[in-house]
Amino acid sequence: MTSKKIIIVEDERPARDLLKTYLEAFPEMEVIGEYDNGFDGLKAINELKPDAIFLDVQMPKLTGFELLEVLEHQPEVIFTTAYDQFAIRAFERNAVDYLLKPFSKERFKEAMVKLNARLETKEGSAKGESGIEKIRQHFAESDEMLHRVVIKKSGKIHVISTGDINFLEAQDDYVMIYTDEGKYLKQQTMKYFEQHLDNQQFVRVHRSYIANITCIERIEPYEKSNFVLILKDGNKVPVSRNGMQVLKENLDF
Amino acid sequence: MSHPITGNRRSILIYSLVWLMVAATQGILYLYVFNFSIPVVVTDALFSSLLFGFMGLLAWYPTRYIPFHRQSPFYSISAHVVAGVVVMGSWVLLSIGMLNAIFSTQVEYIEFLNQTVAWRAMLGGLIYLVLVLIYYLVSNNQKLQERSQQEERLKGMVRDAELNMLKSQINPHFLFNSLNSISSLTMSNPDEAREMIIRLSDFLRYSLKHRENEYVPLGEELGRMKDYLAIEKVRFGEKLLYEFEVDKACEEFPVPTMIFQPLFENAIRHSVYESVDPVSIKFSCVPDDWHMKAVISNDFDPAIPIRKGTGVGLQNVRQRIALAYKENGTVQWSGNDGVFSVTILFPRIFI
Repeated sequence: MTSKKIIIVEDERPARDLLKTYLEAFPEMEVIGEYDNGFDGLKAINELKPDAIFLDVQMPKLTGFELLEVLEHQPEVIFTTAYDQFAIRAFERNAVDYLLKPFSKERFKEAMVKLNARLETKEGSAKGESGIEKIRQHFAESDEMLHRVVIKKSGKIHVISTGDINFLEAQDDYVMIYTDEGKYLKQQTMKYFEQHLDNQQFVRVHRSYIANITCIERIEPYEKSNFVLILKDGNKVPVSRNGMQVLKENLDF
Repeated sequence: MSHPITGNRRSILIYSLVWLMVAATQGILYLYVFNFSIPVVVTDALFSSLLFGFMGLLAWYPTRYIPFHRQSPFYSISAHVVAGVVVMGSWVLLSIGMLNAIFSTQVEYIEFLNQTVAWRAMLGGLIYLVLVLIYYLVSNNQKLQERSQQEERLKGMVRDAELNMLKSQINPHFLFNSLNSISSLTMSNPDEAREMIIRLSDFLRYSLKHRENEYVPLGEELGRMKDYLAIEKVRFGEKLLYEFEVDKACEEFPVPTMIFQPLFENAIRHSVYESVDPVSIKFSCVPDDWHMKAVISNDFDPAIPIRKGTGVGLQNVRQRIALAYKENGTVQWSGNDGVFSVTILFPRIFI
């Protein structure tokens, strides 16, 4: 039996120690790295390509979910979490398993049995389907609020607070996100952002545009019966007739 | 407070109908008992009853601006007498004068009119008095309603504050992660595990006390906050540094229980939870002539996007301080140069 490579991403040392101690009972599992934040974890996973990862949800810099969103290599995932209703629902169907802290040795063993089963079927088939895609999908279909957006740009990871977004523009299969610091391309749909951004602040003003209403400088008429938003950063955003209706309701004019 | 009659359409309608009926009764009386001609009857009814109806509306204003409970009864009564004499006097002079001028040729009517002046004035005075009483009734009723509405609002605010307080007590993340750390320590370091269990128990016991909404010496409150920080220190190790600088004079000063908990929790959440570098949390308390000044500060990385839900803890603390000390206590916060700090001023004399 070849040994399986494991990476632990967890910000608390005692929690990492516990996992390593429990893992001692499974000699075929080899811990090739442990990281105390999402950033370093992400880099290591992409480089070292482990078979499975233990992933905490709440972590500095990048949460477990945000990490999955930009991960290239797709290992099997066992989540470890303390208390997170949404996360639990997401894991129930899609992760190999999730461990609610604190967890017993027996519970850990169960998770390892599931993991081994998943790894074996993966070896058998040419390319096993990972649960990660499903977890991403689960979030896309939920009504969970988005507070930050994680973007990969020229090899670097950027974490943008949604409040810093001035507006979004549809570009085929991508969405261009405009902030004061620059623009970022994200593979995602407009519907996704419309659904997960705070609709008190972000309004779909056009089929291809979502605007942050706190960034509007003024609204000007544009050609026939159309309007255009002039944003504080000087950018112009077209407004459709429907968009104008929604804007009127939001801004109360 | 708006005028109880002109303030809404329905009262205007009812009031007008009442006076139209009074005018009609007067008219019928004059027509069939005293046998005056129709123009005389209609004009008299118009000038006495309907004019009175209009003047009666004015009686509201003295009622509105002479509140009985705030002035001496003598002052209020004389003010009402003066107002009443002015209103009724104008009414009598206006109606009698006009009727006299219009029907100066009808001797019989003029004679009748002048004989009834005293009666009219008396009857007018009586009705005026009744109107004033009704107005008082209405305005008191309105005030009562407003007061009970305000009370409801206040009660709601207090309830919300209390509810938020309870909610903010212990973060489940903290609790379960601490238990997980203990679970880990039982294998690697049982002594430390036991210490941590004791700390966690002390802290939880203290947080339950919080429901009673009582005051404790600052020293005790800080003791439990140190338990809290020590537990977090086990989880985060060297990443968390903290120091306390408390003036001796502050130790015994009574503070609301758990008042600092949301602030320490915030400090940890926005610094330690979000950072990979060591962060330090500082607490200081110094007295001045009027206040105890407590300051909690922590490092934070301004580059890290702030998660939503921030500010609930701070608002809670501000609300509790306002409930406890009214305007004598203040909570202020500021964040610049990578240091976030919250300052609470407790009034030294407050009971």
